[in-house]
Amino acid sequence: MSLQEFWDYLVLGVMLGSLYAVIAIGYTLVYGVLQLINFAHSEVFMLGAYGSLIVLQLVNPGDNPSALASIGFVALAMAGSALFGGVTAYGLEKVAYRPLRRRGAPRLIFLITAIGASFFLYNLAGKLFGRDPVTLPEMYDNHAVFSLFGAGVNVTQMLQFLTAVVMMVGLDLLVNRTKLGKGIRAVAQDAEVASLMGVDIDRVISRTFVIGGVLGGVAGFLFANLNQVSYTMGFIPGITAFAAAVVGGIGNIRGAMAGGVLIGVVETMTVPLLGDEWRSVSAMVVLILVLMFRPMGILGKQVGRAA
Amino acid sequence: MLNKTLVRLAVPAVVGALALTGCSDSGSDGDTLKIAFQGPLSGDNVALGENMQNGVKLAIDQANAKGDLDVKLEYVAADDQGLPDKATAAAQKAIDDESVVAVVGPAFSGPTNTASPLYTEAGLVTVSPSATNPNLTDPKNGFESLLRGVPNDSQQGAAMATYYAKKLKAKKVYLLDDKTDYGTGLAAVAEKNLKAAGVQIVRKAVPQKTPDYSATAKDVVNSKADALIYAGYYQDAAPFAKKLKEAGYKGAAISGDGTNDVKFIELAGDASENWFLTCPCTDATVEAGTKKFAADYQKAFNRAPGTYSAEAYDITNMIIEQIKGLKGDVQREALRDALAKASYKGLTKTFSFDENGEFKGTDVYLYQVKGGKIAYQGNVNELVG
Repeated sequence: MSLQEFWDYLVLGVMLGSLYAVIAIGYTLVYGVLQLINFAHSEVFMLGAYGSLIVLQLVNPGDNPSALASIGFVALAMAGSALFGGVTAYGLEKVAYRPLRRRGAPRLIFLITAIGASFFLYNLAGKLFGRDPVTLPEMYDNHAVFSLFGAGVNVTQMLQFLTAVVMMVGLDLLVNRTKLGKGIRAVAQDAEVASLMGVDIDRVISRTFVIGGVLGGVAGFLFANLNQVSYTMGFIPGITAFAAAVVGGIGNIRGAMAGGVLIGVVETMTVPLLGDEWRSVSAMVVLILVLMFRPMGILGKQVGRAA
Repeated sequence: MLNKTLVRLAVPAVVGALALTGCSDSGSDGDTLKIAFQGPLSGDNVALGENMQNGVKLAIDQANAKGDLDVKLEYVAADDQGLPDKATAAAQKAIDDESVVAVVGPAFSGPTNTASPLYTEAGLVTVSPSATNPNLTDPKNGFESLLRGVPNDSQQGAAMATYYAKKLKAKKVYLLDDKTDYGTGLAAVAEKNLKAAGVQIVRKAVPQKTPDYSATAKDVVNSKADALIYAGYYQDAAPFAKKLKEAGYKGAAISGDGTNDVKFIELAGDASENWFLTCPCTDATVEAGTKKFAADYQKAFNRAPGTYSAEAYDITNMIIEQIKGLKGDVQREALRDALAKASYKGLTKTFSFDENGEFKGTDVYLYQVKGGKIAYQGNVNELVG
């Protein structure tokens, strides 16, 4: 691999990794407050993509919209995906998890429920939106904008990367600087004591789900822009992002970001070195290696109750 | 207690079975025979399945309308989503329905491989209009009930290779398969033929449903290949084509019958322009012999026939002809033997099979995406000259 090729793939890897990072945050946030792996998060992601598709079909960008109009369409699509993602995550928490929490169900039941909710949602989406894949309408002219170490970066990639960074920085600020963030951290640390200190646990948990859902939904839109929308699109990115969250240290937000980018780069670098068929293998090898030497993940420390 | 329940269940079952055998023995009018279609009727590649399903339905409806049969024909759908792990359930559905006497399909190579042992055991004949993996008719498999109504990928892969080597004079070909039975089979044959023609090859694989094709597209460009073969289905070919265009790939690109559907163009948009597509199927809307069929199809389903619609129609008609030949006494195994020996001149081609159920005939046709349409180019053997 020449140096130029190395930069090419590194840039592609970071772009893809930033998307994994945004999805991984959804897993990590929920794990932080509930010690629950929300396997239905991949469906939140998929429904987010459908949200943007529905909005775009309503407003119909037509051919070659102007630059200003393009920005408007992207913003609308993003809002649509955020809405769908947020509402789905909220509904999930309300319908699937809250009743179990009220009854103090054992952790295994939560896990099975998550998997059941995931199956239910993706088959429902297939029923509602059709089982054919669809491409998002073109919102802008996708040309190379600038080059990074000689690797061309196009509009879609720039959009992906910038959105991911903005969302991650925003979330980091939210968790570390605001009252809601303080609540989330308190519940993550010790829910019982937090409630004794006057934190409304139900409200914090439900908002955490919504935040994770909004991020996941927008990631769905960005992914659909990269590939296409289909009811089965959630599974592979979902599992990969889950691995990224574990690699980074599940429950740790900055860890999820680092894990996402790492997995994205490793996957992409595998393509020229070993071939595409090895990409998931190498991602999982990274996961296994990290777990062998640092079972709590790269940035993980014991957050919240012992699992 | 248990015995009582068993008896209660057994009595109606036995009575029902008697009634059914009684029915099929009589062979009088008012009898219903069913023809099933197994293929993807939901799932990712549903467009390919629906093309064929409509062909089967049209043939059945026309035969019923004509009224020269002493039985009534009915259509049964067996949906396998194009996936090997769903294929046994779909096949079982067709097998358990006693009045199903023949199956059109399975559509894809993977499901054909998993379902064929079941069909063979049940003695239920399957005639596939589109499963093209060469290994399926290997006598070692013992798929006695499988007849293939289409030239296999040895022909299609060879056609791709010949077209690149002789017509486009390609120097270096990037050969990519999608890791399905269909994709790997097609790519292996193409590789063999390209090697024989002395063309340089880069052989890679990209599994279906890869979330991001950017890196693969970059790899194609970096390999400096002047031609590309993608052996896979349209759902993955489309995002891949888009990424190739973004990566600045300028060479030729070709894919097989799994991509040959307007859905490919819908999904890939401009990026599909100039892609070559091979197919052992003819274009029903262009060929003179299928004009009337195309019009009937358009009328019945309000769209133009797609890939393998006409072939599925032909195969269904061939089955119906053999049903007529059996004169009322239609048993599964008798029909299988009759079909295996049959030679039927359909609209698209003449269907006949060798002793392994392999199709006799080698014609492969070339298409190219032009101006957002799949434009028919003609028979590859004639184009290469």
